[in-house]
Amino acid sequence: MASSCSQALRRHVCKSCTILQMHVSFFFIFIFFSEEIVIPKKKTWSKEAVLQALASTVSRDPTASDYRLQDDPYLTPKTSSEFKLFSLSQESGKNAAKYFINTYPKYFQKDYAQPHIPCLMPETLEAQIEEVSEAALIERIHMRKVEAAVDLYDQLQQAGTPVSLDVTNQLLDLICFYGDSDPAQENVPKQRSEETEDVQDEPQTKKGRASKASDQLKAAWKENNNAERIFALLSEPNTHSYSALIRGMVKYCAYSKAFSTYTDLLNNRLKADVNTFNALITAAPEVKEKYNEKWELIVDLLKEMAEQKVKPNLLTLNAVLKALRHCGTLGKSQAFPVISEMKALSIDPSLASYNHLLNIFYKPGAPFLGQTGILQEVMNEVSGKSFTPQDPDDGICLLLQRCLLTKDIEQAYRVHELLGVGENWRLLGKDLQQNIYYARFFSLLCMMENIDVMLKWYRDLVPSVYYPSSNIMRDLLQALDTDNRLDLIPQIWKDIKQLGHANRQKLVEDLLTLMAREKQNQEVQESFAECALDIKKMYDTGDRGKVIMSWTATSLSDIISVLLAAQRRQDAWEILKLFKTHNRVPSEELLNKFLMCIMESGEVNHAVELVQISAGFCLPETPKLIQRVQQEFQLSEQQKNILSDLEIQTFNSD
Amino acid sequence: IVSSQLFPAACFRNIHCTAACLKNRAARIRVGKGDKSVTYEQAYHPHHIGHRKGWLSQHTSNLQGEDGAAERVVEDVFIRRFMYGTFHGCLADEVVIKRRGNLLVICAVMIQKLLPSKFYFLIGYTEELLSHFYKCPVKIEMQTVEEKVVYKYL
Repeated sequence: MASSCSQALRRHVCKSCTILQMHVSFFFIFIFFSEEIVIPKKKTWSKEAVLQALASTVSRDPTASDYRLQDDPYLTPKTSSEFKLFSLSQESGKNAAKYFINTYPKYFQKDYAQPHIPCLMPETLEAQIEEVSEAALIERIHMRKVEAAVDLYDQLQQAGTPVSLDVTNQLLDLICFYGDSDPAQENVPKQRSEETEDVQDEPQTKKGRASKASDQLKAAWKENNNAERIFALLSEPNTHSYSALIRGMVKYCAYSKAFSTYTDLLNNRLKADVNTFNALITAAPEVKEKYNEKWELIVDLLKEMAEQKVKPNLLTLNAVLKALRHCGTLGKSQAFPVISEMKALSIDPSLASYNHLLNIFYKPGAPFLGQTGILQEVMNEVSGKSFTPQDPDDGICLLLQRCLLTKDIEQAYRVHELLGVGENWRLLGKDLQQNIYYARFFSLLCMMENIDVMLKWYRDLVPSVYYPSSNIMRDLLQALDTDNRLDLIPQIWKDIKQLGHANRQKLVEDLLTLMAREKQNQEVQESFAECALDIKKMYDTGDRGKVIMSWTATSLSDIISVLLAAQRRQDAWEILKLFKTHNRVPSEELLNKFLMCIMESGEVNHAVELVQISAGFCLPETPKLIQRVQQEFQLSEQQKNILSDLEIQTFNSD
Repeated sequence: IVSSQLFPAACFRNIHCTAACLKNRAARIRVGKGDKSVTYEQAYHPHHIGHRKGWLSQHTSNLQGEDGAAERVVEDVFIRRFMYGTFHGCLADEVVIKRRGNLLVICAVMIQKLLPSKFYFLIGYTEELLSHFYKCPVKIEMQTVEEKVVYKYL
């Protein structure tokens, strides 16, 4: 039974092997993966083969695509836009399923799972409790329905039922967090609510839910909105209520109001809590103008905090550091004492603190002396530690940007290593942040490292983790140029095509210029010629007649130089004709080069035609060309006549 | 119950009736003119399972002392119909269902009939819906081929 099973499995494997053989052109036709897959007839294994195979599965597989996607050549994305499209379509499929599950929950109620898995049960999106009561209010607060909750609260007030202070505080929290408007639902199409949206925000909401976070932040704190109204209705507001109100005001940029509310709080002889103080410290730089005034305000706040016996936490000190960025030179002198305070209070600095610190010390345009030390010290502190995201400003991208700006490759490697420690991969952020991170990493590598190291990283990260943009490919070309490895250009061109950057004018023109600059040895020149002809296809109009890129004189001359250097005269001749059709003027050296090639081949007709073309463009070097042709070629009568006509023509036009 | 009248009380003969189970005709495609293409799975008959074919559904409930075989069968039938309907016209071969612990893995070979983004939409939809339905994680492992892999013509 077992043997027949294994036989059957072997048959299945053979079947899948045949399927695999059909896809012999493996997905990654990238520069270092262009090996054909040949399945041998017999294979012997060494003693450590199993261990080696197991070891290779432990680290990340550079040939595989993202874990969310399927492992199939047809279903693997080749460009970054495809990757985004596929992952988003998978997400929208999930949302479609969630819609069905939540709309028809009765089919999904049967519970097979022991223990119970709550996330696989249908969610209730509509509020269940209908009658006007406090429980209904609590339910709506839990479901984050801001407007429904406010309506219900008003109804309760009118009915005369007292609402407890806790519940009112929760309602205030809800309103202040969401800024008095409902949070944009992701699954349900956003309903326009006229009362609460600003007029300027409407065109943005029409575009969809892409900018929902920025929508909410741009929505300013309005006068006499629901939060203030409900707050005023409270007979005895406590710390929590004040805290909610102040934090809401600071979040929605009503800074001076926040401070006046704080003075109210002090007048009522209440204590503020740590979150209130954090919000006020964040607001402090916006309220005052001069550096020392800002700092004094912050110091006052901190002193009051100490008086009220409120312990500062990580966010407090991060807020202080962030405010110090706006304090100029004062910031530099005060930053380190803040860090020592942090250590004294045994609060571990998070990545955000280090980011703020670096921002304080590395002002753009400031002199470079003594600055590199700080980045290194920060990296010394940070390496080997695992961070958890605690602050919204935690993000490893900023550290890398600092390395990029100071062109420090050592520290950049340490930052990259930091990503491998513990939970730090969470600090990389979502897809956009990841792209920015890798773009910076690659530009730094292209600038600073030699080509072999660069290509090792390229092989490792592209395209399984990162799809480079066309700017990065241009940096890569420059790096190739610096290290004199221009022979790799055709392979890079294949990658560029696969990444979908083949229609970027600047990139293609750079590529052509690099190829055309010097004459290479024979085989390299051959590959360049193939590449050039491939590029020429890119310039031709697409099937629907839309023009992707337009020819320029330089790009045409570059292609012709490459083809001539590879002795492809026929192709070069056809491209020369393109000058006329696209209204571009060839340069003198190009025509001279062409003439020399023609002399080698001895095609007299071509020489005469070349002169005619040059005359057609009324180029100033036409007479010289005519002379050269007359001297060096054996011309027939007809050709001599044509040439003398042209000579007279050009002489007359001078 | 048909009872014999020969002896009183003691003798009973029973008839057991079922619908006709055509065991000789199940899952077999009969040899025809030679224009019908069949896949490997369809070409070999059920008595070749374990010899030339593998199993389409892999779970442990048929082992000694394990229960739940009938529920697995019902789930499998539902999943196969669901896949057939959701990826309509795209399935190149039978769906293979594997159960590893709590995880339900649906392995399917598809024809490249739809755009990859549409495939991903349907994959996300299927995974989510079936996870919520069966209260266990469901994963789809998909492979695509250009057209149905023909083994022979019958």
